[in-house]
Amino acid sequence: MRRTLLALASCALAILLLAAGASVVVSGQLLAYQEGYVFFTTGDGFRVAHDVVIKDAKTGAGTAVKPAPRVWARATFDSSGTVTELDLSRSPLPPQGSFDDVARFAVALSTPVPNPDLLKNVETPPPGEPQTVAASQHFSGRPVLVTFIVQVPPYTPFTSSVYISTDQSGWNAQAIPMDRVDALHYQITRRFNSGTIFRYLYDRGSLQSEEIAQNGLARTPRELVVTDADVRVIRDTVYAWQDAAPGQVNQPQPQVMPTPYNPAPFPNLPNCLPPPEPGGHGKPPPPPPGCPGSPPF
Amino acid sequence: MRLRTSDGFTVTGDAFSMDLKLNRFMVAGHVTLHDATGTVKGAAISDFLDFRRIYFVPVTSEPDRWTFLDGDLAHPVKGRVMPGDAFYFPQVSDHPSITGTGAVVDTKTYVRFINAHTYFLDAGVPLGTYVVNFSSSQYFAQNTLSGASVDLTWNMAGSPNALTALHLRYDPTYKTYLSVEQHLVGDHEYAIFSVNPATRAEKWWNLALYEKLGSRFQIQSFTQYYTQQNWLQEPRAAQQTTYLSATYAFPHSYVTATSQLTNYNVLGPGALEEPKAIAGSLSHPSQVQITATSFQNRILKWPLFEQIYEGYGFNHDSVGGGQYLNGFPGYWPQGGSMFAPIPTPGLQAYGAPCGVQPSKFYTYYCPVYTTIWNTVFGFNLFTPSIKLNNPPSPYQTYYLNASFNKQYQWNSLPHWISTTSENFSINRQFSRPVNTYLSYQILNVGDHYINGGYQPCTPVDTFYCPLSFTSFRGVSTQHTTSLGLNWVPSPEFNFSLLVRHHVDYPIPVPGVFGLPGNNILGQPLYASYLGQPPYDATGEVRFKVLSHALLDVSRTFYWYGNPYRTQFWQPTFVVQLLPI
Repeated sequence: MRRTLLALASCALAILLLAAGASVVVSGQLLAYQEGYVFFTTGDGFRVAHDVVIKDAKTGAGTAVKPAPRVWARATFDSSGTVTELDLSRSPLPPQGSFDDVARFAVALSTPVPNPDLLKNVETPPPGEPQTVAASQHFSGRPVLVTFIVQVPPYTPFTSSVYISTDQSGWNAQAIPMDRVDALHYQITRRFNSGTIFRYLYDRGSLQSEEIAQNGLARTPRELVVTDADVRVIRDTVYAWQDAAPGQVNQPQPQVMPTPYNPAPFPNLPNCLPPPEPGGHGKPPPPPPGCPGSPPF
Repeated sequence: MRLRTSDGFTVTGDAFSMDLKLNRFMVAGHVTLHDATGTVKGAAISDFLDFRRIYFVPVTSEPDRWTFLDGDLAHPVKGRVMPGDAFYFPQVSDHPSITGTGAVVDTKTYVRFINAHTYFLDAGVPLGTYVVNFSSSQYFAQNTLSGASVDLTWNMAGSPNALTALHLRYDPTYKTYLSVEQHLVGDHEYAIFSVNPATRAEKWWNLALYEKLGSRFQIQSFTQYYTQQNWLQEPRAAQQTTYLSATYAFPHSYVTATSQLTNYNVLGPGALEEPKAIAGSLSHPSQVQITATSFQNRILKWPLFEQIYEGYGFNHDSVGGGQYLNGFPGYWPQGGSMFAPIPTPGLQAYGAPCGVQPSKFYTYYCPVYTTIWNTVFGFNLFTPSIKLNNPPSPYQTYYLNASFNKQYQWNSLPHWISTTSENFSINRQFSRPVNTYLSYQILNVGDHYINGGYQPCTPVDTFYCPLSFTSFRGVSTQHTTSLGLNWVPSPEFNFSLLVRHHVDYPIPVPGVFGLPGNNILGQPLYASYLGQPPYDATGEVRFKVLSHALLDVSRTFYWYGNPYRTQFWQPTFVVQLLPI
């Protein structure tokens, strides 16, 4: 009962204030200020009073900031829809009011006509009724946690580092380092604003070790559209690395000359071990020069 | 500001902004739109290039709203409702990274700033012309430079198909230096040339070429030319290697032909060679390999996948590089007599003792193989992520991964190499930021000679030939148990720890086996090698240091168990600055 009375009193007060010509205040970013009009980034232009008061939005005192594109402003409208006060700031102002409330004051010579380019609003159906139109992807720009989990080829060296390179970071091959989570998978979580669209590829730290497609050819970059969600999980599979496809000759790396042909698969045998030799030729060979027991020279 | 478009109209106004991702530009404040049909004044104009829609707020007697469709500036659609974001300014930092007095924008490709300045500690640094390439083509990013700890890139010229860049780089090997790189890019091809480091005596000249012909065939090459020279003076040493690769894709497999041609001494006899200025290595080996590889195929409906591959190839070298008739490299002891070995004039000497023996101590074998053919066959079996339990919480689930690889390589010089690798891991995500895994790997490599092979080292039970090594005959087995932990409380911070225990044969002994060399960043060149210390632990921490950069620091600690108890750190921290 008390709440109902309070609500009625509030409505009555609002009606009285409107009837008395109370001002309306909205804040936003300026698009232009010229020829007696102020334009906001909604595209709406409003008449400005000849004696408009211009103040600093934070201090309320006079300001050296001039109304201009990109400047943030809080506009006070009188009952006729004329802007009588502009409070300016170079930094964003907290949202105040709604441009829907002052849309009727916007000046435009032509009568509005519908725009067929714009999508129609889709009403959410009542509970229990099926959705007749497929819900479209929604982008609000808010941060979304995106987790990438990639399965790598089984012959990927265990100590390999795996990275994601994207067109957003200029295809830097070490842009997003990933963490190994088991023998075949790497994972990383990054924060992207919804609406972000980017292309990406996995690699092992250089573009020479980039992933290739399952058919052995260079892979077309994957594309990710970040839609509104609390968390998104992207699961991908790398079929092969460019520098380590099965049975291939390894591609040389920049600034590393290939080592001479070595018939042995062990790259760091001790120097004092004799090389492979055919058997059946008498006693074992002596140690190499410089090793204990080697013959004098 | 003044804007001129390729469509032929000009716009002046107070402020300009362009959202390069949205591909929309806007001019606001005292706007004048001028084209062949006349001039109109207004408050703002916004051009959505992808949609061919221009939204204009003219101010004639009063403001209005006009829309130009498909570039037709002569017939505005008046009063049409505009999208809500038609005139929104993109939110950007108050501290620009680059400023300029003008800019040329090629949509979806690049921006070239004129009279550009960048800022360091609020001080302007003049750049002249600076190009920001934001093309989605990854070919622009293909590069031929090696890794570096820090790379500051000045893109000094660009076009829709080219980019010229000067790099100021730092790495622990070459310290601070400059490099130059040129990119030429097409829809299905690229060519990249670089000199790195350009301001050091040791220079690497690189050329990478790529062409995709149709949807099933591609060919690429990478040529590297190493010179030791002051600036562009006559080189003291020069080496060259070229890698060629061609791939043809079939519906369920592909065939790749690769070739590597190397010349270890382009200058010829008389070139520098340490420690003696003699002829230098005149070796110029060549290598060709043709490999057919299947796709990864699921076996029946089991959680098991297979992939097979088979290849044929040959190695050829009629000079020999680093191989000696008795297998030993040259030896110049302090104060002792010199041992100058006889180089093998080919790839490998193996067979009966030669008719002429130049040494009474060592046996030299013939024939010398200048060409060695090989056949490779291998297969992979693996099973990704089998769920081991089914608890109510996903943070209590354990997953098993396993893989098995077997490869044989038969050589025309009669020996064959078999490699077997088995890998098992169990992992669990304990919470959103914490996951761990336990892994066990067995790697078995056997180098088997049909006749003879690896000889025992002597004298037995010495520092150079410990007991555990005397029975080594070309077969090694490495068992590695790994425990990994990742803690990622936020996308801007990461800590990971990897602790490994190796139980290997031959048993590692400090000082007998060499550690692998490091790349110029200080990271080991290869991961698995004989003589690995039985224990190692690698810690890595990554955190945000700038609004668009992460710092990554890692270091490995190795130690031996009894009886040696030797321990040591990896020589340096590995530090990298990574963009976010």
